[in-house]
Amino acid sequence: MSRIIEAYVGEYASGKSENAVNRALDLARQGRKVVLVDLDLVEPFYTLRPLKNKLENMGIEVIAWETKDTFGLGEAGYVIKPEMRWALRRKGDIIFDVGYGVQGFRIFNLVEGALEEENLKIYAVVNISRPLTSSVEDIIAYLNLFGRVDGIINNSHLGELTDKDVIEEGIQVIREVSRITGIPVIAISVEKNLEFLAGKSNFQGFPVRFLERYMPQSLW
Amino acid sequence: MERAIKEEKRVFMTGNEVVAWGALAAEADIMYGYPITPQNEVMHYWTRLAPKHGRKFLQTEDELSAGFTTIGGVLAGRRAFTATAGPGNILLQEPVSMAEMMRLPMVMAIMQRGGPSTATVIYSQQEVNLTTSGGNGEALRIVYSTATHQELYDYTIKAFNAAWKYRFPTFILGDGYQAKMREPLVMYNPQDKGVEMAASEPFVGKEGKFGEGREPAHLRNAFSMEEELYEVVMEHIQDYNKITPQIVEYVSLGCEEADLVIVAHGIVSRAAVAAQEKLRREGYRVGFFRPITLRPFPVRALRKVCKSTSKFLVVESAFGQLARLVKEALFGLEAEMDEIFMPGLGITSEKIIGHVKKKSELKV
Repeated sequence: MSRIIEAYVGEYASGKSENAVNRALDLARQGRKVVLVDLDLVEPFYTLRPLKNKLENMGIEVIAWETKDTFGLGEAGYVIKPEMRWALRRKGDIIFDVGYGVQGFRIFNLVEGALEEENLKIYAVVNISRPLTSSVEDIIAYLNLFGRVDGIINNSHLGELTDKDVIEEGIQVIREVSRITGIPVIAISVEKNLEFLAGKSNFQGFPVRFLERYMPQSLW
Repeated sequence: MERAIKEEKRVFMTGNEVVAWGALAAEADIMYGYPITPQNEVMHYWTRLAPKHGRKFLQTEDELSAGFTTIGGVLAGRRAFTATAGPGNILLQEPVSMAEMMRLPMVMAIMQRGGPSTATVIYSQQEVNLTTSGGNGEALRIVYSTATHQELYDYTIKAFNAAWKYRFPTFILGDGYQAKMREPLVMYNPQDKGVEMAASEPFVGKEGKFGEGREPAHLRNAFSMEEELYEVVMEHIQDYNKITPQIVEYVSLGCEEADLVIVAHGIVSRAAVAAQEKLRREGYRVGFFRPITLRPFPVRALRKVCKSTSKFLVVESAFGQLARLVKEALFGLEAEMDEIFMPGLGITSEKIIGHVKKKSELKV
């Protein structure tokens, strides 16, 4: 069984963390050993830190700072935790949540061996309701800034106002992005309570990942 | 200027981005800024949007400079703005006072953080004193306290129009939670909604000669004669008082038939209105009053409420900064004042409901 190594990247507030958390938990439910790495060094107060204990109780290992070990959650300077740098030396599947858009992704080279790792997949999470990644052209231009993207997760939604139109329009746009760039669409992610909109496990030919919402609990 | 928002559109954003898009829709020409959490993404998104829409950005060396360069932009006739928080808001007060004296339409977004001093970066309502009355002089300024992303968009547009129409410094007062949280809103082109956009024009280098068809541009913040200062300041105060009824905004729900009125502003008002609705459903006679403009404060409306209900519960993420405004507004009337003051902490509707049930004899 080869191990799964995935890095979730994308526009600020596109849903990277929610997708990474759900993916990690899903793999754990399949009986796999999973390590979730919180790689947001720009906004440490909006990261997985407050969820660490909860997620660990759900059966995954989380590499994130503990509130008691941090100082100045913002401008006082933030350091990479040694366990983050050496995360790939751990056993099991590794899911990286790489926060804060393209700027945030620039720290990914601090993870030892990351870019040489042959199993690594870099997945861009895209929500077309985010105005700067709403059109085919804008999304392609944005994905180019990352240098490398191995797959796209369509996470198009409007929060509590999400309807079928939003999801379908997202699919249409992302399908076109995929056609032009050749980057495959890995999945459509849809909030669990909208299951009735998206059917069971497949929507317009794409696998669906249903998301439980964890991030609202992570705000400080 | 080109239409930045082509058509009405539902979007999903963080509050800081909303301010940048609102400024774009309000035809802002330039932002001057210096980084500080939690307003950074106002700058980040403005710098991503500006080149696409022919707008400009200048990063200054601090907020004092950001304020004065904003004034420079305004003097040149540009719709200029800045955004900051906490210690940056303190530095901003000097240029704001100058704008107040010179009657310059300066626009600022404040995303409050915890204080005093550098303190916390996430969330607070502790910049009410500073934003409503932080400068020297008479605090002749307009302060809109927003509660939702839709309001952040609407009031950013409104702030530019109010500033350029009335020529007083104008603030959009948010907080770190609004700045960072994500929710949907509708973006639109203000002209399509019938919003009249107040025109901007230069204050210096005007066309023509003064005395020949136009008044001289007389911009002063220094006066050597006390009587002269008095005359100018009193004129500004009269102007401010005259426009106050046009500017003042508030929300009042169920205050006419209530035994208690919950008063809150900004993000906390969302918890307060949820609490009021729930308590009402359970049979408690509770009202809700929310000032949208903290300056000028809706004095007349609140005094009217007090005549039917004289019991108030002020709820804020600060230690009595809103309560101070409420007490001043109610001066001379008989009123009872209860409080939930939680400086730098979030307040939930459950907290308010619990407090009301425990403390009051309002029982159904």
